[in-house]
Amino acid sequence: MRRTEVQPQKILVVDDSKLIHKMFEVLLRQFALIHAHDGLEALQCLGNHADIDLILLDINMPRMSGLEFLNQIKADAAFQEIPVVIISTEGKEEDTVRGLEAGAAAYIKKPFGNQELIEVIQRL
Amino acid sequence: MEKAAAGDLLKELGTTLERARSIFEALSVEPAKPAGEVEASQRVEDLEGEITANERDREELTARLVEAEHQLGRLMNLYVATFQLHATLDPTEVQATIAEIAVDLLGAERFVLLLRSEGTNECEVALSRGLDQDPSGLYGREKYLGGDPLVDAALEDGVLRMGPDEFSDAIAAVPLRVQDAIVGVLVVLKLFDHKTILRAEDRDLLDLLAAHAASALFAARVYSNTDRKLRTLESLVQLVRST
Repeated sequence: MRRTEVQPQKILVVDDSKLIHKMFEVLLRQFALIHAHDGLEALQCLGNHADIDLILLDINMPRMSGLEFLNQIKADAAFQEIPVVIISTEGKEEDTVRGLEAGAAAYIKKPFGNQELIEVIQRL
Repeated sequence: MEKAAAGDLLKELGTTLERARSIFEALSVEPAKPAGEVEASQRVEDLEGEITANERDREELTARLVEAEHQLGRLMNLYVATFQLHATLDPTEVQATIAEIAVDLLGAERFVLLLRSEGTNECEVALSRGLDQDPSGLYGREKYLGGDPLVDAALEDGVLRMGPDEFSDAIAAVPLRVQDAIVGVLVVLKLFDHKTILRAEDRDLLDLLAAHAASALFAARVYSNTDRKLRTLESLVQLVRST
């Protein structure tokens, strides 16, 4: 992650599943979480929070999909350095390749193990 | 005279041989180690024993930590699922939560939620995903009229059934119970390709769904009906007052 200050690092969670948001609330207590439920809402959140360190991104969402959102932020100099972890049920090899080629730093398949997610976040 | 000299010589030779033997014996015995060296070697042996014991402890603790993390993950999933099921009194949201549990926690790619129609043995398809690719066609017309032995058995006796079964397409048939009544069943028909099997922790989730999903749905429906009736009555009262 980009910053390592004492203050909690800020993670933007983008997923249309309320269950996943609740799970991250429990699992990632040590981080400050910002919640968005689709790509458009996530773009607004990025505009409102300039200090986001990491994005956890679903792919299948209403209004704007995860890949569309990813393409937009990777084309924007203000946000393109923020690492993005895709967390999706789309588990085929080509889905992973597509996500990583679009600029994601990691790709995790749902359902995921908690330890797997923590390790990826720590690595970034 | 010569004999006496020879006897002396033999005696001297015997004495010399005796001395040589005692010197040889003395040299054959391993020299004793100094006291400090003995202590040090004993200490090294003790430390090696401690290191071995510590390594064994470390391995055991690592195994316990892995198991504890695994248990923590299971409990967290159960907590989150229960929390979300009972977090709302909107029937649509409860159904959406059941779908999220099936997809995000169980890894179900294709599933159907059947709810018993009141007063009949038919089940309506309350919620489904991926049914357009269901080869059985049992759930295609918004009603399930029976036909899958695993599902029918779960609806009959309220016991969770797990596949594979020769005569069924279901991987799991989860009966939904409210008190003693079986009000429906969640049928998992296919898992995602990257989720090969249902594991022990998934069984916990299925048990949780059996116990909580129906009561959450039931409570939400009762609340929704009551709320609708209340609004109707309030409108009537307002109408009466205005006339």
